[in-house]
Amino acid sequence: MTTAVQVRTAPVTVAKRPALHREGRAAYLFLAPSLLFFCVFLILPFIFAVVLAFSDWGGFDLGTIKFAGIKNFSDVLSFDGTFVKPILVNTLLFAFGSVVMATVGSVLVAYCIDRLSFQGFWRVLYFLPVVATVVAIGNVWKMMYQPAGLINGILNKLGVNSIGFLSDASYALPSVTVVHAWASIGGAVLILTAGLKAIPGMYYEAAEVDGANSWHMFWQITLPLLRPSLLFVLITQFIAGLQSFALIIVMTGDGGPVNATNVAAFEMYQQAFKFGAWGTASAMAMVLFVVIFVITLLQLWIARRRGEETS
Amino acid sequence: MRRRRFPWFSYLVVILGGVAMVMPFLDMLMSSFKGAGEYGVIPYQFLPKSFGLDNYKAAFDQLELGRLFRNSVIVTVSVTVSVLVTSSMAGYALAKLRFRGRAVIFRFILATMMLPPFLLLIPTFLIMLNWPLAGGNDILGRGGDGGLTTSLIALILPFTVSGFGIFLMRQFMVSLPDEMLEAAKIDGANQWQTWRLIVLPQTKPVAITLGLITFIGQWNEYIWTLLISSSDPSLQTLPVGIQLLQSFLDPDRTMPIVMAGLVLSTLPVLVVFLLFQKYYVRGVVLSGLK
Repeated sequence: MTTAVQVRTAPVTVAKRPALHREGRAAYLFLAPSLLFFCVFLILPFIFAVVLAFSDWGGFDLGTIKFAGIKNFSDVLSFDGTFVKPILVNTLLFAFGSVVMATVGSVLVAYCIDRLSFQGFWRVLYFLPVVATVVAIGNVWKMMYQPAGLINGILNKLGVNSIGFLSDASYALPSVTVVHAWASIGGAVLILTAGLKAIPGMYYEAAEVDGANSWHMFWQITLPLLRPSLLFVLITQFIAGLQSFALIIVMTGDGGPVNATNVAAFEMYQQAFKFGAWGTASAMAMVLFVVIFVITLLQLWIARRRGEETS
Repeated sequence: MRRRRFPWFSYLVVILGGVAMVMPFLDMLMSSFKGAGEYGVIPYQFLPKSFGLDNYKAAFDQLELGRLFRNSVIVTVSVTVSVLVTSSMAGYALAKLRFRGRAVIFRFILATMMLPPFLLLIPTFLIMLNWPLAGGNDILGRGGDGGLTTSLIALILPFTVSGFGIFLMRQFMVSLPDEMLEAAKIDGANQWQTWRLIVLPQTKPVAITLGLITFIGQWNEYIWTLLISSSDPSLQTLPVGIQLLQSFLDPDRTMPIVMAGLVLSTLPVLVVFLLFQKYYVRGVVLSGLK
């Protein structure tokens, strides 16, 4: 019996092998354009970015590149410079502020939309800023923030003096942070409403039978069960907030007044393309990359620990 | 949630928030009609005196909207088509073909989404600049003036493949029934024909989703285009052109003309989004549930 089985299986494997081989070749042909792209536009630039961060190089001739050790990093991270304070501090305040505002706002809005009719309409409404270009958003808000703009117009009607939202150094950073939060609520609302839909209705019915009001239901049922979507929103928004600077270019031009709205990715951009300091700029990029990485890990770690406590 | 009472609190929150969402866009629209002496005046007036189209005409002439529009369309359409083709090819291989290294490559594709774009900005620019045998460069990428950065290709090439797109396509294609592909194989179709004639027609919904996300993202792309076109203004797209040409405008009504240009440049994406928003919403939700 056993020999018969062996005799029977042997030709099958022989016949199968060339077919699998051909399938493998086809697979790599299908993957070739993408893998080639990632080699040239992902792996190569990544290695180049690491090399640049440890080099001293200006201009464009690769022959003049010199190894600089950790000098770029010690320059960038020196407390005498502007990168750690105010620029990195601004970056964290900008990201943290907009994440808090956008998350609180989107949880509230998603929770309320979930109880209304025409949910599709409301979601689209909140999503509009995500579709508009940053140039439109930045210029409109810049216009609304001006002394003769919409917001100061309303303040004046209420008897409050005009505020120099973008010209006053103490208001400028909060002002751009609000715009970034406003623009990112829509995406969060979409993901959170999908998360809310996944919560079984019977939990609410059971809670209602037990006499819970909507306030209790929100804190005891909705929020804990929404945690996976909420964690996703928090992490992606934090990553986006820490690296975003297009809005700042459009609204304040140079990160002013006097570095008040300058953030790390923008400083990197300026160092590289305004001053040609490739090494310094690349070191800044690395530092920001590590900051993003650490903050993401930290959020995952906190989420896991809290998860163990409650479950 | 099923509640019997009228949810007045929810209506209040959603409507107030909705006003905050729409108000800036209304202000953009209203300001685009304001003439000289109407804009930037205290006290603030929401409505314009008339709804004349002077600013729109000025936007076309002074902002050169036609040229910007052309560049935007070329870049956005090229990138979208390329992302759709490469994503569906790679997604098919990762979802349905058995080969050595599949797990490793899939994990690599996931990892590509973790690398933030700002990190690759400087090296990518330098690579484009020193591209061998382009823009007068020699085979080592030296000597020329500008390499690949002097044509619209510079705005297209770094966006032609998307890790997110491959991931989205792969996730969708995994759920296609194997029997269908087996049947095609028995009928004598090779892998290319199977992909082209059997798989592609099935992926229409996810292709619309990916196409929309790519189209809107690329239409609004700002940083890279700003960088590339800083040495060659003929490469500007709508967002960059409108931002940078402000200083050339009639100073009495700069902002209103800019607003008119922005209204016109936002309209195409808005229309596309509203037509297909169901697909867009699903894509965002799908990407959130990985």
